[in-house]
Amino acid sequence: MPSDFWYGLAPELALLGVVVIAMALEAMRVGARWSQGAFVGATVAALAVLYTQLGADYSAVLLDGELRVDRLAVAGKAVLLLCGFGVAAWFPGSVRGHKFWILAGASIVGGMLMLGAASFATLFIGIELLSLPAFALIVLGQGRTVASEGAFKYLVLSSVASAVLLFGASIGYGLTGTLRLDAFAGLFTTGGAQGQAALLLVLAGLFLKAAVFPFHAWAPDAYAAARLPVTAWMASVVKAAVVLAIVRIVGPSALGSAAVPVITALAIVSIVFGNLAALGQSRFRRLLAYSSVAHAGYMIFALLDVTGSRGADLLWYTAFYGLATVLACASFAVLCPGEDDTLERLDGQFGRRPVASILLALSMLSLAGMPPLPGFFAKLFVFRSVIASGHTIWAAVAFIGSFLGLAYYVGIALRLFRPSASPATAPAAERMRQRDESTA
Amino acid sequence: MAESTMLVTALLLPFLAALVPAVLGRRGALPRVATLGVMLAVLWLVVTLFGAFDGGSGHAQFAVDAPFIPSLGIGLRFAVDGYNAYLLLLTALLFPVVLACAWGTAEGRSPLYLVLLLLLEGALLGTFLAQDLLVFFVLWEAVLIPMVLLILVFGGPQRRRAAISFFLYTMAGSVLLLAAVIFLGAEAARQTGQWAFDYATLAGLQLSRPQQGLVFLAIALACMVKSPLFPFHAWLPLAYREASPSGTALMAGVLSKMGAYGFLRLALPLAPEGASSFASLFVGLAAVSIFYGAVLALRQRNYKLLVAYASLSHMGYIVLGTFSLQATGLHGAMVQMLSHGVTVAGLFLLLGLLEQRRGAAYLQVHGLATRAPRFAAVLMLFVLASLALPLTSGFAAEFLVLLGAFGAGMARWQAGHGVGVLLATLLAATCVVIGATYMLRFARSLLFDDSALPERLTPDLRPRELLALAPLLLLIFWIGVRPGAWMERTEGTITGLARPVATAVLGAQPHAE
Repeated sequence: MPSDFWYGLAPELALLGVVVIAMALEAMRVGARWSQGAFVGATVAALAVLYTQLGADYSAVLLDGELRVDRLAVAGKAVLLLCGFGVAAWFPGSVRGHKFWILAGASIVGGMLMLGAASFATLFIGIELLSLPAFALIVLGQGRTVASEGAFKYLVLSSVASAVLLFGASIGYGLTGTLRLDAFAGLFTTGGAQGQAALLLVLAGLFLKAAVFPFHAWAPDAYAAARLPVTAWMASVVKAAVVLAIVRIVGPSALGSAAVPVITALAIVSIVFGNLAALGQSRFRRLLAYSSVAHAGYMIFALLDVTGSRGADLLWYTAFYGLATVLACASFAVLCPGEDDTLERLDGQFGRRPVASILLALSMLSLAGMPPLPGFFAKLFVFRSVIASGHTIWAAVAFIGSFLGLAYYVGIALRLFRPSASPATAPAAERMRQRDESTA
Repeated sequence: MAESTMLVTALLLPFLAALVPAVLGRRGALPRVATLGVMLAVLWLVVTLFGAFDGGSGHAQFAVDAPFIPSLGIGLRFAVDGYNAYLLLLTALLFPVVLACAWGTAEGRSPLYLVLLLLLEGALLGTFLAQDLLVFFVLWEAVLIPMVLLILVFGGPQRRRAAISFFLYTMAGSVLLLAAVIFLGAEAARQTGQWAFDYATLAGLQLSRPQQGLVFLAIALACMVKSPLFPFHAWLPLAYREASPSGTALMAGVLSKMGAYGFLRLALPLAPEGASSFASLFVGLAAVSIFYGAVLALRQRNYKLLVAYASLSHMGYIVLGTFSLQATGLHGAMVQMLSHGVTVAGLFLLLGLLEQRRGAAYLQVHGLATRAPRFAAVLMLFVLASLALPLTSGFAAEFLVLLGAFGAGMARWQAGHGVGVLLATLLAATCVVIGATYMLRFARSLLFDDSALPERLTPDLRPRELLALAPLLLLIFWIGVRPGAWMERTEGTITGLARPVATAVLGAQPHAE
C-alpha cells in the first residue's frame, strides 16, 4: 500500500517537487532558467513513470474513496504533462520568472488530482488547484489593465462554475449519501428528475470551465488578456483536465435520455458558433479562444458515445488538440515576438522563417482536422463513436460546422505565404500600434 | 511477392525522396536530376506492375496489407486492380513529363517545387492504390495540401484567391464523404461485428435503398466537385488559369481523374442501387457539363481558359460513360480517363512552354506554324487527339462512351422510362462537333493566323521538350490504334462492376413502374 502510494503519485510528487524547488530557487535569487529546467526535467521524469505505468496497465487505489490510479488517469496525466512539456520547452526566449513555473506546476498538479479523483472532495480540490493558478498566470508580470480584466472575468465565472458544480454534487450527495464518483455515475439512469438535475448541474459547471457555448463568454477576454504561453496553457492543460474530468465523473456508460438532446445541442451550437465567431477575428489569441469553443464542442460531442470508447476518444482528442495548440502558440511566438498578435504580422513570414511557418501551418491544418494530420484522426475517433451511437444526422451537421472552421485555419496558413508589406514600413506601423496600446 | 515489394517501393519512394531536394537545397541541377531519377524509377516500377497485371480476373493484385488502426479495422491496404491500373500509369507518366517541361524555369530550380511534386505524386499514387476507404479518404485530402501550395507559391497574380477557392470548394465537397465513410464503417461494425473499411467488406454490406442513396450522394458530391461536373465547376476557371503550367497540367491531367475514379471505384460498387436510381440525373448533368464546357470554350480568347473549359467538357464524357452503367460505356470512361489525362496535360504543358518563351504575351501569339514548325506539329497532334480524330485515343474513348450511353438510352426508352437519357446522349454526341470547332479554331488562331506579326521570334521545341512530350503522343496513338489491347486490362473489373449494377437496375425497375 505505501509503495503504491509513492509509485502511483510519483508524477504529482515530481511536479510538487518542482513547485518547492522553484520557490527555493527564487529565494536564492538564481536565474529563472533553472526553474524552467527543473520543470522540463520533472515533466520528462513524470512522463517516463507514466509510460511504465501505462505499459504495465497499472491501477491501484491510493486513498480509499478519494484517490485512485487507472488507465484513464495515467493516460490523462500523460496528456497534461505532454502539453505542459510543450509549453515549457517549445516557447522561445522563455525565461518567464520563477513564479510562472511555481504556478504552472501547481496548476498541473491540480489537473492530475482531478484525473485521479474518486470523490467530489478530491475533484473539487483538483479543480481549484487547476484554475486558481491559471488566474494568477494571466495577470503575472503584466502591468496592463486588460490583463486584470480578463483574469477577473475568468476568476468570477470560474467561481460560479465551482458553485454550480458543488450544488450539483450536493444534490447527488443528498440522493446517494456519499461523495464517491462511482455512486454518482449511477444516478443518471436511476436517480429520476433529481438525478438528472444533479448531472446537468455538475456538467454545466464543468462546461463553464471548458468554455462550451453558452458558457464561453469569459474565454475570449481571458485568452486575449494572457500572454501566449498562458493562452496555450489555458487551451491545452486546463481544458484537457476539465474535459477528462467529465469522463471521470460520467464514466463509460451511456448518458440519460434527458442529457442526450441537451449535449447534442450544446455541442453543435458550440462548433458552429465557435467557428463562425473565429472567422471574424483579426487577433490570434481571440481567434484561438473562439476556436477553443468549437473544439470544446467536438469534445463534449464525444459524450454522446454509447459504445464505451468515450475515454479513449477524448484522450486522443485532448492530446492532439492540446499539442497542436501549444505548437501553434509557440510558433506564433517565434514568428511574431512581442505582445501584438494581429494576424497581419504573419504575412509573408514563410520567406523569413520557413521552419516556424511550416510548423504553424501544420498545426493550424491539424486543428482544422485536415488529413493526414493527427487532428483528423482525433476528430475521426469522436465522429466514429457518435455515428456508431446512432447520431449520424447530427454528426453530418457537425461535419458541416467543422468545415466553417477550415476557412480561418487555412486563412492563417495562407497568410504565411502572402507577399508581406515592405520591411521598411512594417516596424514603423508596429511601433505606432504599440504606442497606441500604451496610451490606451 | 516481388510485385508487392515493387508496389510498396513505388508508393513510398516519392515520399522518401521528397527529403532529397529539401536537404540539397539549390545546388545546381542535382536536386532536379535526383527528382527526375526518382520519378523515372517510379514510372518503371508502375509500368512493370501494369505489364504484370492480369486484367482478365478483375481481382486486386499484388496486395499489401499492414495494420494501421486495428481496433477500427483500418489497414494500409494497397493493390493494383482494374480501376486504378490506367490511373497509376497516367500519374507515373505525367510527373516526369511535367518536370522535364519545367526544367529550366524558375520554379523548376526551386527545391520547394520539387518537394511538392514528389509529395503530390506519392499522395496521388496512394489515393489510387488504396484498398481501404479510410486510407483512401486520408490520401484524397492529403493531395490537396501540395496542390494548393503549388498554386499558392508558383501561380499567377491572383494565385491566393485561386488557391483558397480551390481548397475550400474541394474540402466542402468531401465533408459529407467523411460522414459516409464513417457511416459505412459503423454499418460494417453493426452487420459483421467488426469495424472495417476495406472495399471488399464494404461492398458486401446490406444497405437499404435510402441508405444507399445517401451514401451515393455523399460520395458523388465529393467527386462532382473534384472532377468537376456542372454545376460544381466554379473553382475551375480561376484555379486552372492561375496555377503554373505544371500545376494546371497536373490538376487537369490527374487530379480531375480522382473525381472520375471516385465515381467508378466508390459510388458504383459501394452503393449500386443508389447509383442506378440517380443514373439518369448524372447522365443529364454530364451532358449539360459537356455542352456547357463546349459553349464556353467556343467563346474564349484566352488559350488557357479555352483548354480549361474544353477539359470540363471532356470530363463530362467520363461521367456519361460511367453512368451509362453498361460495360461498353464503362470501358469508354476508363479509356477516356487515360486519354483525356494525357491529352489535356500535353496541351497545358505546350501552352506553358509557349509562356516560357513569350511571357504573358503568349496569348497574342499567332502564326506559329511558320516560325516554330516542330512546336506547331506537336500541338496539332494534341489538338487532333482532343477533338477525337479516329486513330487517336480520344476517338476510341468518346466512341465507346457514346455507344454505351446510346445503348443505355435505348434500353430505358424501350422499357418505358422516357427518352431523357437518349436525348442527353444525342446532346453529348452533338458536342463532339462543337469540340472540333473550338479546338480547330484554337489551332488556327495559334498556328496559322498571321494577321498580327510578332516582332520577336519564338524558338522552336528543343530536343529535351520534344523528348518529354513524345511519350504522351506515343500513348495517344497506341491507344487510338489498338484500344482492344488496353481494354483487356480492365475487362475483368468492368464485367464484375457492370453485373451487380445491372442487376440493381433490373431489380429497381418493378419499383419504378
